[in-house]
Amino acid sequence: MLEQTVSRVLTCIQCGKCTGSCPESGKTPFNIRMLVRKQQFQSAIDEAIPWYCTSCGACTLRCPRDVKPSEVIIDIRSLLVEDGQIPLAVQKALENTFTQKNPWGRSRAKRAAWTENLDFEIRHVSETAEKRLLFVCCIQAYDPRCMVIPANVARILNQGGVEFGILGEEEACCGNEIRRIGEAGLVEELQEENKGNLQEYGVKEIIALSPHCMNALKKEYGDMGIKVSHYTEVVWDLINSGALAISKPFEKKVIYHDPCFLGKQNGIFDAPRNILGAIPGVTPLEFSRARETSLCCEGGGGRMFFEVETIYQRNAEVRVLEAIAKGADLIATACPFCVMTLEDPATEKGQVVRELSEILMEVL
Amino acid sequence: MKIGIFLCHCGHNIKHTVDVARVKEYFQKFLNVAVAEDYPFLCSEPGQELIRSRTEAEGLDRVIIAACAPTLHQDMFKDLVKKGGLNPFLLRRVSVREHCSWVGDDIGKNTDKAIRLIKAGVYGSSHYIPLEEKQVDVTQSAMVIGGGVSGLSAALFLSNQGMHVYLVEKEAELGGHVRKLRNVWPSGKDGSELIDEMVETLRDRENVEIFTSTRMVSFGGSFGNYEATLETPAGESTVKAGGVIVAIGFAPFDPISKPELGYGKDKRIVTTLELENGLDELGLPANPRVAVLHCVGSRDEQIGKPYCSRVCCINALRAGQTVKEKFEHSYVESFYMDVRAHPKGGEEFYEDTQEKGVLFTRGNVGEIIPTPAGVLVRGEDTLFGELLEREFDLAVLSIGMSPPKDNQYIASLLKITLDKDKFFLEAHPKLRPYDTALKGIFIAGTCSGPKDMEESINHGRASAVKLFGLLNLGYAFVEPFVAMVDPKRCSGCRACEQACVAKAIKFDDGERIVRVEEAACMGCGLCNSTCPSSAIGLKGHADSSINDEVGAILEAI
Repeated sequence: MLEQTVSRVLTCIQCGKCTGSCPESGKTPFNIRMLVRKQQFQSAIDEAIPWYCTSCGACTLRCPRDVKPSEVIIDIRSLLVEDGQIPLAVQKALENTFTQKNPWGRSRAKRAAWTENLDFEIRHVSETAEKRLLFVCCIQAYDPRCMVIPANVARILNQGGVEFGILGEEEACCGNEIRRIGEAGLVEELQEENKGNLQEYGVKEIIALSPHCMNALKKEYGDMGIKVSHYTEVVWDLINSGALAISKPFEKKVIYHDPCFLGKQNGIFDAPRNILGAIPGVTPLEFSRARETSLCCEGGGGRMFFEVETIYQRNAEVRVLEAIAKGADLIATACPFCVMTLEDPATEKGQVVRELSEILMEVL
Repeated sequence: MKIGIFLCHCGHNIKHTVDVARVKEYFQKFLNVAVAEDYPFLCSEPGQELIRSRTEAEGLDRVIIAACAPTLHQDMFKDLVKKGGLNPFLLRRVSVREHCSWVGDDIGKNTDKAIRLIKAGVYGSSHYIPLEEKQVDVTQSAMVIGGGVSGLSAALFLSNQGMHVYLVEKEAELGGHVRKLRNVWPSGKDGSELIDEMVETLRDRENVEIFTSTRMVSFGGSFGNYEATLETPAGESTVKAGGVIVAIGFAPFDPISKPELGYGKDKRIVTTLELENGLDELGLPANPRVAVLHCVGSRDEQIGKPYCSRVCCINALRAGQTVKEKFEHSYVESFYMDVRAHPKGGEEFYEDTQEKGVLFTRGNVGEIIPTPAGVLVRGEDTLFGELLEREFDLAVLSIGMSPPKDNQYIASLLKITLDKDKFFLEAHPKLRPYDTALKGIFIAGTCSGPKDMEESINHGRASAVKLFGLLNLGYAFVEPFVAMVDPKRCSGCRACEQACVAKAIKFDDGERIVRVEEAACMGCGLCNSTCPSSAIGLKGHADSSINDEVGAILEAI
C-alpha cells in the first residue's frame, strides 16, 4: 500500500476543489487534482509538471478531505530532487543555498550589507537587552530592489522605540522555499543552523520581514518558545498605541495585494490594511480577489528561481491590469517576492508597486 | 463453595483453536470445582438445559460460563442460573471466543490462555455477593425538550398512549425549522400546515402541557423520577418526569466560515433557505444564470464537518427546480461531488430535475469571486478534467446541518455526551440509536446527527416508544451495581463527592464519612478510582475481585 506522509493522498475523493482554487489551473498544463490521482495509483508523472505549483496553499486550506495537495507536490518534487531530474535553475538555487546559505549564491559575508547606509548602528542580537531579532530574508539582504526594505523597517522600528538586533552573516536561509522545492535534507541543515543561533543568543522574539520566513519560523521550526510575528503586525501595534506618529499625508489611491504566506496561509489580512488606513489621504481600494481569495503572484514554491516552460498570462499582469482599471495610483504589498513579480508587468504598463515600508518612509 | 464451569465449543469457533478436553481436565481437578462440562453449543436448548439442571442438582454457588463475550446472551444465561436456584449476579462469563480462540491459531498457546482466563473468572467470582435488582416507582410522565417536528412527533405518540407530557420549547412558537419551509419535499406542502396540524392536536390534549419561550435552568433526579426547573414567561416552574426526550434539532450551517465562497460579501450569493423564502426579491433578470453548490458545510474537514448532512442534495435539486419553474429559459448548473438522493423517490427527483434542464457538473467549486458582471464561479469540471470560470447572476449554496446551538448547555445539564461532531451521542449507533448512556433519557431527531423530515419524525416516535416501554408499568428495575462505602476505611476526605457526576454521594456530618444515595447512583465508578483509601467501590466489582483476577492470569498453570 502507498505510504502516507504529511499528505493524505489515499483519502482524496477527486472533488476538484484544489484545481478550482489553484492559481495555475486552466492556463498551464498543471492540474493538481490529476496529480493527486496519479499519486494514488503511483502512475508516471511528467517531470516538468510539478514545478508549476507556487505553494500558495489555497488547495491545502480548502481541501474538504484534508489531503494537503500542496504537500503531495512536495512529495513528488522530493523524488525528482532525489533522482536529480530537476530544472537546472532549481539545481543551482539548491547548490547556492548549500554553500552560501542563500539561493542566489551571494557571499555570506555580505549578508548585512544593507545596514551600511543607516545613520544608526544595528547591534548583533546577542548584544541587545530584549533579544528581539529582525530576521532579514535572503532576497532582502542581497537584491538591490529589495535591500531597501530591511533598511526602511529598521528605521521605522528605531523611530518607534523598538529595540532589536540582527544575526548578520550568521543568518541562514529560513528554508521555506527549499522545503517546497523538496530538498528536506537541506531544510534540516538550515533549520539546525538557525535554531542553534537562536538558542545560543537567547532570542526571545522574532520580527520577520518576509511572510515566507515568518511562515517557516512560525510553523516549521517546531515549538521554540519564541514569538514570531511579521513586521506589519509590530508596526501596526506601534501606530495604534501612538508610539509611532504619522506626520505627513499620502494623497494616493492605494490597492493592497495580499501575499499568500501573509494572508491566506497565516491569516494576517488586517495589519497591513490598518497601517494604510491610518495614513491620512490614502484612499484604499480592493482587488475583486482580496484576502482569502487573493490571486497568487506566482513568486512562491521556488518559482522565484526559475521560469516554467509554458508561455501564458502571468497573474502579476492580471493584478496590474485590475489595479489600473480600478484607478489605483499604486499597488502596495508586504512581501519581497510579490514586489518582484508585480513590478515586472507594472513597470511595463506604467503602474507603481510599493512595499508598505516604502510608503511609511514617506509619511513618518 | 461449589463451582460449576461450563465450556462451550461454539461449533468450531472455540474448539478449532482451543483444546477443550485439556481445559476440562485441568478444571476437573481444581479446588472447589464440582462441575466441569463442555458442550458444542451452550446457547442451544439442550445446552441451556445442561446449565440449568446441573446448577440445580449440584446446588452450585458459582457458575462460570466460558463461551462468547458477555455482550451476547447475557440475559438468557442469567435467567438460566436463576431458574437453577442461583442468584444471577453469581454468574461469571468468560470470553474464550472473542478474547482467545478468535485471536490466534496456536492451539497450545490458546489453550493455556483459555485456562488462565477461566481461572481468573473462578478467582474473581469468589468475591461476588448476591445482589437484587431494585424495583423503583417511576413517574408516568415525560418531558420533551424541543418542539420541532421530532419533538412534536414524540409528544404526540406519548400523549396518544395516555402519558402526561411536558413539551418545552425555547422559541415563542412550536414547529422549529419545518414551520419556516415553504415547500416540503416531496409533497410540496407548506411546512407550517404540517406543523399546525400536529400542534392543534397537542393543544386539545388534557395530558399535554406546552411551555414556549421557556428555558430549562436546572435538572436533577434519577431514572423514573427526574426533576427540571423551567424558566417560563410566567415565572419559574418545576416539572417531575419519569424520562426525558431531547429533541433540540440543528442549526443551519452559516457559510460565512467558508470565505472563498463569498457569502456575506455579495447579495447574489444566497443559501438554499434564503432562495426558498425570497426568490422573488432577488431581482433576477429574465433568463437568469444560476449556480447551485452542493455540500456547503458538509463533508468538509477544514471546518470540522466531515459528515454528510443527508438533506442538502435534495434541497439543491429543489433549488434547481424552483428556479426552472419560475424562469423556464434560465441556465441552472448544479455543482456536486456526489449526488446522494437517498430518500424514497429521491433518485427519480434527481432524474426529473435533469429532465427539467438543470445541468450537473461534477466538481466542488473552488471559489466564487463577485464581479460587477455577476458572480464568477471558478472550479473544475472533474469529468472533463478542465478548469471552468463562469459568470452567474446568482449562486445558491446548499447548506448542511450543524449541531444545535444549545448542545453544550443541554449536555452539561443532563450529563449526557456529545459525539466528535458535537451532536448528541447515541448509546449504540445501530442497536440503541435513541438511547443515551443515562437510563430514561433519549435523543430524537437531528440533534443526534443530520436527518431528513421523515427520519426525524420516525426517530421522535421511536424514542417515545422506548420511553413509554420504560415507564408504562409505573415501576422499573434498576441495576444493583451501585457504589458502596466501607465505613471503617472512609476518612471523610470527600474527594468522591467532588468526583460524582450524579451527585449521589452525600457527606454524613455526624459520622464524618460519605454515604451513597443508591437511587441516584449511575454505577459509573468515578468515586472508586478517586478514593485514596479504597473505601468506596461498586457492588459486584470489588477491588479484591479484580486483584485476584490479575493474580490468576499471572499465576503458573
